[in-house]
Amino acid sequence: MTEQVGYFETDIPLKIYGLSEKSVTITFGTAIDNDLLDLITDFNQLLLQNPFSGLITTVPAYTTLTVFFDPLSVMLSDLPGEVCFEKVSAHLNKIAQTKREKSKVIANKLVIPVCYGGDFGPDLLMVARTNNLSETEVIDIHTAGQYLVFMIGFVPGFAYMGGMDSRLSTPRKEVPNAKIPTGSVGIAGNQTGIYPMETPGGWQIIGKTPLKMFDVNRSQPSLLKGGDLVTFKAIGIKEFNTYAEI
Amino acid sequence: MSMKISMIKPGLLSTIQDLGRYRYLSQAVPVSGVMDELAHRLANKAVGNDDNNATIEFTYADASFKAETAILVSYSGDGACLVYNNELMPAEKPLFFPAGSVIKLIHNTIGARTYLAIAGGWDVPDIMESRSTYLTAAFGGFKGRALQKADVLVSGTIITEVSKGILEQLIDRSLTYPNWRISRESLLPENRQSIRVVLANEISWFDATSIISFLTNSFTIHRRSNRMGYHLSGKPLVRRVKKELLSTAVTPGIIQVTGSGDLVILMADCQTTGGYPRIAHVAAVDLSLCAQLKPGDVIHFSEISRDEAEALYLEREHDLSLITMAISLKYIKT
Repeated sequence: MTEQVGYFETDIPLKIYGLSEKSVTITFGTAIDNDLLDLITDFNQLLLQNPFSGLITTVPAYTTLTVFFDPLSVMLSDLPGEVCFEKVSAHLNKIAQTKREKSKVIANKLVIPVCYGGDFGPDLLMVARTNNLSETEVIDIHTAGQYLVFMIGFVPGFAYMGGMDSRLSTPRKEVPNAKIPTGSVGIAGNQTGIYPMETPGGWQIIGKTPLKMFDVNRSQPSLLKGGDLVTFKAIGIKEFNTYAEI
Repeated sequence: MSMKISMIKPGLLSTIQDLGRYRYLSQAVPVSGVMDELAHRLANKAVGNDDNNATIEFTYADASFKAETAILVSYSGDGACLVYNNELMPAEKPLFFPAGSVIKLIHNTIGARTYLAIAGGWDVPDIMESRSTYLTAAFGGFKGRALQKADVLVSGTIITEVSKGILEQLIDRSLTYPNWRISRESLLPENRQSIRVVLANEISWFDATSIISFLTNSFTIHRRSNRMGYHLSGKPLVRRVKKELLSTAVTPGIIQVTGSGDLVILMADCQTTGGYPRIAHVAAVDLSLCAQLKPGDVIHFSEISRDEAEALYLEREHDLSLITMAISLKYIKT
């Protein structure tokens, strides 16, 4: 018989604060951490499988999980408490006492093709110079790594990915670009990410993917989700042009 | 039966919105939806619609449209007044216009946004469970964009029993409207410059003087304000704790403090996550007041508790349900 492990030690309530009349946020930790991401992912699944009356949706982030709900439905529910915050907290604390199970959400492993440098990666040279590398070395190091999607934020489908080799670490631009083209692959500090649509942005752009990172016509419009594992593959311009998607 | 209008002048920014897009927040799709939820819902209620039916959100006035068929519409909000044949049309009331009517929006100095509802709602595709326009990513609403001259908008063909009842009583060859209207004023506080707020989780990150300053000083709405957020000019706040906040979920109404100590009230199109510390959030019932603010307007904040904010919210929902019931009773024969 295996030992049962709850989400937290018994009787220690979750750290919850009210974000608005329609949402609360649970704080699970204080720093970006792979184990914390697993914990948040597992708890999120547990909640979605055991919803309370009025639950609308959840938003996982680096150290938090935010729960959105309809206050009217919550008030009409028989959860203990006088106000929505107490009622929702009661439910969250109750399910936190149950046995922690590994989430059944399958972390996708995706290979994302990228055409590095040139017009697609105007800051590749900058990243290389900052780190005393050649452009080829930057591409080699960037494609050698495996990246973990920590959260989706900023604009629809934008994945914040951690796990980048610190040899590529480059600060954000002091003055953001007004327009970063769709599909641009960038670096900011120790993170890497892909712009799913044309927006202003301050990341160092090293290449471009022909994949659609966000598409309203897909059942899951965002190609990536928290917990996914990503690797990059260098492709040439000819191969880039064979993708008709963008 | 489908009703139809064509845009003669689109105005500064006119988009189709509903109550917003909530199911895709984890994929960083913003809520979007109407800025002034109360005005939008009252416009819908006045024609017998469900609250989530799509309306047109007009920013300021300088817009006009033509009824290509007879239409049953209503409007609410403070950005403009509807005018037909030089006659001011009453707000929060069903209005029946015959085919061929030209309706103008004229300036109303009180606010910024006005909502036009049509019986059956404006018929645009449902994208990710909402009809709201999200301009940044160009999806939702009418072709993912603001309305333009010559756009033709049609209503949904399915109308409620209440809408049918209203239409039966009003249908005529000329402009008609009933003798009742919803009183929006009774649902709003008298002082619209005072915005009630609940202090946020990172309140202890700010020094005491700054918190007092936040709750006593006035702030001016900056020109750099839009559907994503309002930038406020005023005395910058000073941080006591300098650590960084790791990006976490945010929602419309949250007041962030930027690196320079300036305040930003997040509005309908705000990003789903943010990394600036938050000093407070606007009470949900007062977000409608914020939606009507214009650059140059001066506001101040007053603190209420989380429970008070919730009580105000539930109280307003109760009032709104009574309004729905009262309108139904007028038109549904039992």
